Amino acid sequence: MKLARYLLGAVRTNLVEYYTWLLFVGIYLVMGIFVPTIFRTAILLNVLVQGTTVCLLSIGMTFVMLVGEIDLSIVAAAAFAPMAGIISWEMGFPVPVAILLTFLIGGVIGLFNGLMITKLRIPSLVQTVAMWWMLEGIVLIVTRGVAKAGLPNAWMVLGRIFIGPIPLLVFFFIIVVIVAVIFARRTVTGRRLYLVGGNREACSAMGIPVNRIRIISFMISGLFGAIAGYVSSSRMGFISSSFAVEWLMPAIAAPVIAGVSLTGGRGNFINVIAGAYLVQLIVMVVRAGGVSGYFTEFVQGLLVFIAILVNAGRQRVIGR
Amino acid sequence: MIQVRNISKNYGTVIALSNVSFELERGKILGLVGDNGAGKSTLLKILSGDLQPSGGEIYLEGRRTRFKSPADAMKIGIAIAYQFLELVDSAMVWENFFMGRERTKRIGPLLFLDIGKMKQLTADAIAKYGPELDVDREAGELSGEQRQIIAVTRAIEANPEILLLDESFTLLYLEGRKEIVDFLKEVNKKGDITMVIVSHDLDLVKELSHFIMVLRGGEKMFFGRTDEISIDEIVRYMLP
Repeated sequence: MKLARYLLGAVRTNLVEYYTWLLFVGIYLVMGIFVPTIFRTAILLNVLVQGTTVCLLSIGMTFVMLVGEIDLSIVAAAAFAPMAGIISWEMGFPVPVAILLTFLIGGVIGLFNGLMITKLRIPSLVQTVAMWWMLEGIVLIVTRGVAKAGLPNAWMVLGRIFIGPIPLLVFFFIIVVIVAVIFARRTVTGRRLYLVGGNREACSAMGIPVNRIRIISFMISGLFGAIAGYVSSSRMGFISSSFAVEWLMPAIAAPVIAGVSLTGGRGNFINVIAGAYLVQLIVMVVRAGGVSGYFTEFVQGLLVFIAILVNAGRQRVIGR
Repeated sequence: MIQVRNISKNYGTVIALSNVSFELERGKILGLVGDNGAGKSTLLKILSGDLQPSGGEIYLEGRRTRFKSPADAMKIGIAIAYQFLELVDSAMVWENFFMGRERTKRIGPLLFLDIGKMKQLTADAIAKYGPELDVDREAGELSGEQRQIIAVTRAIEANPEILLLDESFTLLYLEGRKEIVDFLKEVNKKGDITMVIVSHDLDLVKELSHFIMVLRGGEKMFFGRTDEISIDEIVRYMLP
């Protein structure tokens, strides 16, 4: 009897903590009532694969939100970094180097953002908007508005090689996510992101290098932007300047739905994944349903709104 | 033994501290009192390395000492617990306890947090001085006294020679205050720790301190043994 009660208690605690997954599954099931085709394996797989992009962006965004900031340039990094990587390949670098360069550039973009925000005290909103425009602009100038296609096979590995019905990129994605979660929960720097977001002065007083932690958060989001861009390009076969612009709002919506605090200090990555897939699901269903694309934004906004309400209600229940 | 000689601090034309000097023997508790703006917090921040004095010197055990930063002061053996602001509400008690000095364990080539150990050590440390506390709760859920105990215990864990406490008691109710006073007396006795306490609560200061210093307008108005001065006299020194 005690075991049953313990299990029930554990189930309930986890349901509360990982409520975003509840929401995701719930909405999936509800949608399935209207559109039963979404239960088909092919569709599920599609959601899984395509959702990796918004999920990676959301995770990157979450790292920055943990310290109480925002990174609007993450989508620009997702376009710029792979583009720079491909250009380096065109210049003669081998593909693996080009890929590493892509990630590196993402980190450097974040580093630049971080420095401007910490040293020059530019608000992250302002800095990352400026960076977003600048990077998008550069991509447009270089590509002249034309998507970069003709990507080498080695670059496309993640998208073209399958294990069963699942492309390699899903496994890559899973590994990246696992590393991110372990980093956030179990390393000194990871935990400090939460602490800095929770109370900057307290961290400063206890000798934690606050600015360094903030800069690291931006480097991580830049890196995740680059990874998202790379993974997406390996799937779609091209790099476009307009890539990911449409994913900025979802990348913000997903963490909010997952209960990540915009003022910092709180955020559960497992929930963020659910939030991202939820947003992805909605986008796909709305599009597939033949409804006008404009509806997507409305639905997303509605979802964020509902998420905020649900989150507020949840905090009341928990007693915060 | 701390010796403070002619410490001054000014911000442009604003004088926060003016030629404040005093001596405090090891293991003694100094109660620093004064009205708002008298310079108490400023003096404490100078002692903790958070502020640089505009003039004057500090001597520890006879040696001229200068702290460039709080981290510097911590290395020398000075710990400070601020006005209950220095906890991260959204983090667990054990995280707050170990922030900045997290315990790690090596797994393969990488360093990970040794969470189990930190929880254990936190629980042990708190149990030493006061009532038991669940270290797995968010700091924001704690009462004022509990937060105070965490903040002070955390400062003590660094084995400081000198403990500075700034206005840490303002929010405490009467019963909580007794808890804190007993707690601090224990800490002082057990570790022979020199303490400087800033407080508006004159009763508390009177009960806890060996010595009292009254500041007014950045100047030292009185320094002496606690039993040599009454609360009325303290107030008279405090107010113009």
